[in-house]
Amino acid sequence: MRKLILGLLPFMFWACSDKKPNTENLDAEFEAQQETSAPEVSQDVIEGIIQQIPSPLEISFLLKDQGVKYNNEFLNDPKATSNYNSDFQKAINLGIYGTDLGYTNIYEQNQDAIYYLQSIQKLSEGLNIGQFFNFKEIKRLATNSSNLDSLLLTTTKNFNSINAYLQQKKRANLSVLLLTGGWLEALHITTKVAESDVSNQGLIDKIGEQKIILDQVKLLLDFYKTSDPNIGQLRKDFEPLIEAFNQVEFIYTYHEPEMKEVDGEMVIIDNSTTEIKITPEILAKIGSETQKIRANVTK
Amino acid sequence: MKNLLFVFLFLAFGLVAVSPAQAQCNSDGFTDTCLGSLKDGFTFLKSFKIDGQGGAKQKVEYSYVFSKDTKYYINVCGQNGVDGIIVTMYDSNRKLVATNHANGKFYPGITYPCNATGIYYITFTFKDSENYCGGSVLGFSR
Repeated sequence: MRKLILGLLPFMFWACSDKKPNTENLDAEFEAQQETSAPEVSQDVIEGIIQQIPSPLEISFLLKDQGVKYNNEFLNDPKATSNYNSDFQKAINLGIYGTDLGYTNIYEQNQDAIYYLQSIQKLSEGLNIGQFFNFKEIKRLATNSSNLDSLLLTTTKNFNSINAYLQQKKRANLSVLLLTGGWLEALHITTKVAESDVSNQGLIDKIGEQKIILDQVKLLLDFYKTSDPNIGQLRKDFEPLIEAFNQVEFIYTYHEPEMKEVDGEMVIIDNSTTEIKITPEILAKIGSETQKIRANVTK
Repeated sequence: MKNLLFVFLFLAFGLVAVSPAQAQCNSDGFTDTCLGSLKDGFTFLKSFKIDGQGGAKQKVEYSYVFSKDTKYYINVCGQNGVDGIIVTMYDSNRKLVATNHANGKFYPGITYPCNATGIYYITFTFKDSENYCGGSVLGFSR
């Protein structure tokens, strides 16, 4: 079960079915939803940005590696799905639940993970992308596969299919919201942990690094801020967080790398460095602004 | 004459039907291969399709945010090994960070312990490639 769910995480829980989903009945609904006009930017550009954003899974691995204890009070209530009625709410909370699922699974909290799977199923069906999310197939993979990486690859391919589907239907704003929700939740969990562990430099650096990701998220939100009023409002809500992150100092120094052959493989010695300067005040500000946005979208 | 015409039509349609299929690049098959050779201890992160369109496209590029204190592994798979596919990583200023082509050799994989967080470009180019087609997988470990 754990491996199965892990397979879903990096891509915010997309489906595991190899068969082509039946999308005919949904096309009409999507046609009706196409009032959200596409931004004046190519889908390739949007796709490129989406693909370069790291999985929230990396942060969850970091937390566990550092011996941080599991705390489900940091997570969104899995029963809150009935509060989410608009596509905006469904999409952003689907992203949030995806990260929560990852967190519960990395900590091997299977009962909680099942609750989040159920929430994800409900919201994905509500967004008419449930056809990509095949629970029967998930169970089959869980019982027959012992290879986590194969599951991850399968879900990557499915994520790409769904993304392409949403873009084809001019609903890529949903992809952006899924991604934003997933990232926001990972930042929320990390800042909550950092509040009680102020001396954890690794964690603080990880929060500071999110400045780079936020730049990409901001770019994506900007593409849709005029064509989608909900994203426009979200983008405004992000402004204080962006300002807080602007005060994080990021110093990158390039030094030529060294390369050596080890057992027939190329191994790099990276001599470049980054130094992240973030004061306790900025850290606290990032935490509080993250909680505000997150509270607003999960209510 | 009728037989000749039949043979002509068969060959003509056959060529039309076969040529595009031969030119197609099945990247998914190669990423599956690469996944199987992902180094022990690394968890899958991303897969990359490498389709040089039979040589018409000389460069395929992706980008990804790498984090310091994380070790990454990227490998390349093509027909009969690497098949002349060079993976090169650059930092956001386009300065060289890593490559699988050095000392006149192609290496199937690169281990990259990242020391500097940032956006990196992952570029695939070709040197004496036969098929201009392959796949690549990125994994991470802490």
